[in-house]
Formats: sequence, structure tokens, C-alpha cells
Amino acid sequence: MTPATASSNNWSVLERKLGTFNRLMTTKAAIGQTPKDLIWTLNKAKLYRYVPVVPAEARHPVPLLLVFALMNRPTIMDLRRGHSFVEYMVGRGYDVYLLDWGVPGPEDKDLKFDDYVLDYMPRAIRKMKSVSGSSEFSMLGWCIGAILTTIYAAMRPNDGLRNLLLLTAPLDFSNPEKLTFARWTDEKCFDVDKVLATFGNMPGEMIDYGAKALKPVENYVTNFCKLWDNLDDPRAIEAWHAMNTWVTDIFPMAGGAYRQLIVDFYRNNRLMKGELKIRGELVHLNRLRANLFNVIAEADHITPPCQSEAILSKVGSTDTEIYRVRGGHIGIMAGSSAHKQTWPHIDRWLGARSDLSGPQPYM
Amino acid sequence: MTAEHVDAGPQVDPFEAFRGMRDKYLESMSKVMIDAVNTEEYAQATGAMLNNYLTLSAPFREALDKAMLMALEQFSLPSRQQVIALAERFTNLEMRLDDIDAKLDCVLESRSASQPSAAGVSPGGAGHSSSEARPLHQGNSRKGQRPK
Repeated sequence: MTPATASSNNWSVLERKLGTFNRLMTTKAAIGQTPKDLIWTLNKAKLYRYVPVVPAEARHPVPLLLVFALMNRPTIMDLRRGHSFVEYMVGRGYDVYLLDWGVPGPEDKDLKFDDYVLDYMPRAIRKMKSVSGSSEFSMLGWCIGAILTTIYAAMRPNDGLRNLLLLTAPLDFSNPEKLTFARWTDEKCFDVDKVLATFGNMPGEMIDYGAKALKPVENYVTNFCKLWDNLDDPRAIEAWHAMNTWVTDIFPMAGGAYRQLIVDFYRNNRLMKGELKIRGELVHLNRLRANLFNVIAEADHITPPCQSEAILSKVGSTDTEIYRVRGGHIGIMAGSSAHKQTWPHIDRWLGARSDLSGPQPYM
Repeated sequence: MTAEHVDAGPQVDPFEAFRGMRDKYLESMSKVMIDAVNTEEYAQATGAMLNNYLTLSAPFREALDKAMLMALEQFSLPSRQQVIALAERFTNLEMRLDDIDAKLDCVLESRSASQPSAAGVSPGGAGHSSSEARPLHQGNSRKGQRPK
């Protein structure tokens, strides 16, 4: 090979890599592709039922409701074909429902946890019961979705909730020195009322910045260096593209709920202290009796393990299990090893508790 | 040895050493930055920047809002507040419809229960808990969503 030919090849490789890089940065991957039916809507919230692929007689009779956080799309649970938690669970014979909170508009700036827990969730759950024909159900809450599902489970202990799965649940804020978010949102530094008076809802860009600034070098530099290094690996770029599509799809969080998150949770830890009031009613965690599976990500920088551990000592459940998994806040469910670690553990635990003959913890 | 044999052998990547150095540098920088953002000083500095931005931009935003409101009035278009009020009323209507849907489910369920000979699954599903018999909307409507 002559030097001229080698040089020409190098340039063509560089050109190809730049083209791929440009495509990944400027296009959206197809995410959330598992077939589903819309069965209920209220305001921006939507309830989907994933189309079962297992015959009815072979399916688990207790349906599973997925509840994600308020400030990101729930498509992370159904990231891409062949690597989707939803697809996996549907394939394992679960009747899977997804509650998508949608994007709050200016008219939703006063929406609070109270509204999500006492207006939206009971209605969505009623519809899910009606469609599934089951009076019992399981619920999986991830991140802030775990806060919502925990509050719901404690406030409606007789509503048929058999199994509660919490993923990276930020419930305990008693160690603010270990929480970077708590430091940033301390009242000495951060005037939450002024921000919300200005914007109404908490802007998605600010939430996104907050999440990325926890690990600035990884998120703003290393992420792209690794992409560049792996541009010749179709699998790696497909995974990166899907994740980037999800990460960059940002939207605001309802102002009322954000204020509660900062004031009631980060600053005052009211849920764990038993002081949290939802529509004037105290939330008693000891009323939560559903079987509880608590997944903790050991390398979670958004919800450190210390935030999720104490819940087990507060609830009234007798069947509880903690599963610790190596990985980060999102990686444990959407990372490359999730299908070998987290998903099978969830299936093992839930599968054993999703038949009607099992004990009913809420009775 | 032919040229082909040389090409087929393991290729030396001239950038491998550079990549190794880069990764080590980024790793150490990452630790430094994580420590830096986790300090009281960083929290106070970002808080002060945000506060200053909000304070300084407030007069401009207010002026823009007023100008926009006047322009919309001139064109006989609804203001932002009016559209928001309308959206809130829609949500309230949706809640009322959902209440009716819940009551209908209960009626159908009780009808099918009173007709045990009717085969098949009830339209409302089986075994609803007693909590579903009552309307879900119990007068504690969310702020700003009461009927205007």
C-alpha cells in the first residue's frame, strides 16, 4: 500500500466516522416500539396496555402497572427492540400497563403529588382493573415514580395492591451531606418559589443540567469520546443512539410537584418522618402492606443507596426483599447487562407472587 | 514476505497511546469535578447566578408579557391566562367523564352480579374493590380546576 493510498483510506475512515457521528447527534432513534393500546387518558396522562404475546391461560393473572418519574419519558422502560424491559416482561407472561404522565403545560403548574396520587393514579388503576378483569395488581415505581407508588400504597392499602417494586427510590433524605442535590437545593442557595414564580413549571433544561452536572466530565466529555471510539461497532452505536434519544427528550416538571419534592422531601424529609400530608391526610408508611421488592443501584449518583434502604424498616409489609445491583440510576434497567441481572431478578420475585393462589397482603 | 502478509498481521493503532492518556486524564478530571460540584461553594455560586438571572430578567419579562397581552387584545386573540383557564376546564370535564365511566362500570358490574345466569365476563371486569363504588372525585379538586 502506498503512502498516498493509506492517507486516502484514513481520510475516508474519518469522513465515514464523522458522517455516523453527525447522524447520531441529529436524528432520533425509534424507541418505545413495543405494541401497545391506549386505554385511558386524563389531561396529559395516558394509560397504555402492552399487547400480550403469551396466551391468556399462560399469563400471570395479576397485572403489572409501570410508573415512571415525572420529568422524563417512560420510554426508558421500552428502549429498543431486543433490549426493552417491557418487551421482556410481556414475553414472560405479564399483563403490562404503563402510566405515562405526559408533558405538563402552563395550566398544570399547580399539579402536586396530591393530584397525581389521589386523582390520576386511582383512576388509572380502576381502568386497569376493569380492562384486566383482576381486582389485584402489582406496581413498579422507578425514581420519582417510586415516591408516587409508595405514597399510593400507603394511602390506599386496601385497593388490591399485591406487589410493590421500587427501583432507585429516593425516599429517605435524612443524610443531606451525602446528597449533592440536597446541597444544591438547600434554602440558603436555591429559591424554589422565585424559580417557579418565573417559569411556572420547573424547566426541563434546568432539571437536565442538574442531572448532568452531578458528573460533568462523564456527561459532557467522556460520553462523546466513548461514542467516537465505538463508531465502528453497530451494536454500540445503536445502544448509544437510543439512550441519547431518551436523554435529550427533556420536558418540564409540574411546578407544584417540584416545590413539594424540594421542600417536603429534600429539605424536610417529611415522608420518612411521618409528617407528609397529602390533601390533609398524613401518609403512614406502616400502612403499606404490599409485598415489597426494593432494587438499589450501588453506583447511583442521583439516588444514592442510603435514600432507598430505610423504607423497609418503616413499612408494614411482611414479605420484603432488597436487591442490590451494580450499576447506576438508569443503567440497572437500561444498561447492557440489565437483561442478565435486574430483569430476571424482578421476574423471579414477581412471578412467584403474581398468581391468584398466593397470599393477599392487603387483606 | 509479501505485502499481503504484512497487511493481514495485527495492526498497530498509533492513537492507542493517545486514547489511554486521554482516558486517564478524563478519569482524574472527573473525580476533581465531582468533588468540585459537591461543595457548598459551588452550590452557593450556582444559586447566586440563578438568582441574579431571575432578578435581572424580571423587568424584561414583565414588559414582554404586557406587550404581548396588548398585542393579543388588539388582534382579538385569547391571552395565555385565558387559554390556561380553558385547559383547566377541559381537565375538569375529563375528570367528570371519568367519574361517570367509573359509575357505569359499577352499574354494569352490579347488573351482571344480579344476573348470575348470564355467562361470560362482566363488561366491568371482575371483583372490583369497594373503593370503586364511590366517585373518585370527592370534592378535593386540584387547584384551579374547579368549574369556573
